[in-house]
Amino acid sequence: MEVIFGNPSTTKKIKYFGKGSEFAIVYFKNIILTLLTLGLYYPWAKVEILKYHYQSSELDDARFQFHATGMEVFRGFIKIYVILILLYVYLLFGIQSQSEVMTITAASLFYLFFILIIPLAIHGAVRYRASRSSWKGIHFKYTGSKKELFLVYIKGVLLTIFTLGIYSAWLQVDIRKYVLSKLKFGNVSFNFHGSGGQLLWINIKLVLLFYITLGIYSFWYYKNLWRFYIDNTSVTQNGERIYLSFKMKAGDVFELLVVNFFLIAFTLGLATPWVAVRTLNFFFKFSELEGYVDTNAIEQSTYDDYDDATGDDFLDFLDFDLL
Amino acid sequence: MAFKAKYFDGKTSKTHHAKVTINSLQWTICYMDDESPLQVNWSVEDIKKSDVFTKGFIAFTHGKNFPFQRLESDDVNFISFISNHDNKNFNRGIDTKLHQSSKKTLVSLIVGLIGLVFVAYLYVIPAIAENFAANLSQSAVTDFGNYVYRVLSPELNIDDEKSKKLQGFVDELEFDTEFNIEAYVANSDQLNAFALSGGKIVIFSSLLEKLENKEQLVALIGHEVAHIEKRHVLKNVSRNLSGAVFVSILFGDVNSVTAVLADNAHMFSQLSFSRSLEKEADIYGLEIMKQNNVDLNGMPELFKLLKRETDIDIPSYLSNHPMLKNRIDYTTTLALEQDRFNNNYDLEEKWNDLKSLVLDYEEDKLENENSENE
Repeated sequence: MEVIFGNPSTTKKIKYFGKGSEFAIVYFKNIILTLLTLGLYYPWAKVEILKYHYQSSELDDARFQFHATGMEVFRGFIKIYVILILLYVYLLFGIQSQSEVMTITAASLFYLFFILIIPLAIHGAVRYRASRSSWKGIHFKYTGSKKELFLVYIKGVLLTIFTLGIYSAWLQVDIRKYVLSKLKFGNVSFNFHGSGGQLLWINIKLVLLFYITLGIYSFWYYKNLWRFYIDNTSVTQNGERIYLSFKMKAGDVFELLVVNFFLIAFTLGLATPWVAVRTLNFFFKFSELEGYVDTNAIEQSTYDDYDDATGDDFLDFLDFDLL
Repeated sequence: MAFKAKYFDGKTSKTHHAKVTINSLQWTICYMDDESPLQVNWSVEDIKKSDVFTKGFIAFTHGKNFPFQRLESDDVNFISFISNHDNKNFNRGIDTKLHQSSKKTLVSLIVGLIGLVFVAYLYVIPAIAENFAANLSQSAVTDFGNYVYRVLSPELNIDDEKSKKLQGFVDELEFDTEFNIEAYVANSDQLNAFALSGGKIVIFSSLLEKLENKEQLVALIGHEVAHIEKRHVLKNVSRNLSGAVFVSILFGDVNSVTAVLADNAHMFSQLSFSRSLEKEADIYGLEIMKQNNVDLNGMPELFKLLKRETDIDIPSYLSNHPMLKNRIDYTTTLALEQDRFNNNYDLEEKWNDLKSLVLDYEEDKLENENSENE
């Protein structure tokens, strides 16, 4: 439902101030420290890199702020590694025993863990990131429940299995819908309006057109996919709903991806920080918030001081980044 | 001196344009709210500067408990005042320095990173991997070899009778090795032989058939025992794996082309390492022959035989073995230096035993094939 009360409609955009050469200093410094400490420094590196991007992003003359600490992220990683090492030891023990029952039990437990932990990791990750993100002094807050998200996920996984994978589009959309609907920013709330059918159609078009066009269709695919995610996201304040929009063409995707590809390939990865800055610039340049939001009238709600980064770390371990 | 800043009180998102006055104990923030002047005091010890450097922008938070107040500023005077401040909470010296002459910093960071990666890949990781292989307990090495043998053996057509004869031959030889040498013969048309960690040697029957004298067989066994004694398989595997893990951690996430380039570079460097192990095994194999008073010429003869039997000699940079031509050259040189050797008659007897069994088997096989064809 869209209600317009005659407020002045304005377009808001995030301005990104990051510079490749500046971010490269932050990035290389952290990579070197991570290598020298055999990876132990990684949590601090990750936090500083995120802090740089947050602090370089400005909306309505105010910058974003990321409040996480390396120690919180480090504690999360320790928990994950302890659990994973125990699981691995059990799996190896199962294989070594040369008993079929033991091997199958250990392997099932191992895979079951990875399947079942994902909704809990998403919950933890979103709650942690939200709690540690602020703008204009107001903190984000995730009010979702572990149990509800778990049920959404399990239902989706079972239906995905029964439909031989077709339902996975709905599964992704259902999770996004749930998570966004429970994300709050003071009195501002979020929603996702896309449907599984739309996402499935985007994927089907890719399958149908990818080979015929020798892969060139991928640029349209990314355009469709990103627009699907961003255009279907809305922001609601005091009952007024406005939508994000992502005004980008396939040619823009082409320019982003092809230049990024060559930058990385010809520098053996040394251009990574410049590519990160280009990519963020791209997304912020084309994303707009259309309509009126009173960014001066957002009230802080109670603080969810959630310092457990385990979920966030687990998604990182799976190479699965939020946002 | 007053600086311009934006103040957020932590209760609402309202932006207050404020003036900040700083003295050694507290910061005073003055702003207008609904036309009335307001003032907030921040005690210096509770102020936290944002801990990441972005040019032309600084931010601070204040407060022990939620909600935290915040100041943001792009006032150049404020920024330069803070960057010259001696309070460590406001001024992390290293970061300011790093960003001061950013070109120099960038070049040194990139050079440092590349240097670090090369030193780690070329020296640190191989040293750790080889150290691990060299110090792994004898029983663990044997377990590893037995495990590999268990996996391979169903595919190897092991001939028990020939294996027994070969073992008899091996038992006549003396080795200074921590492992118990077990020899097996696998029936196969391939000209090959290999050693497993912990003491197992497998020689393929067609290679045995091609061998002309016991010296060549001692050379072959000496080469394989050298692999076992020097723990080459384990060294090769641990070096290869640790290097591959390092390369994939560094480049795996970058992009596919880079990952392929890096993987290939790693493969070439690994091949060169394998070649150095083969050469070491040839030289140590000659030592074993010397120890058993066997004519060292068996080794170059073995390579000449292999060269005759295989059509192509692969250029060494593409292979895990040195070129046979080179192996013939360096083993001949060493064989020329040998001043005496004996003819061990017990060994000769075992060799004749084994050879006749192998030849009989090949004849039977030929006959069977012929009768089938008819």
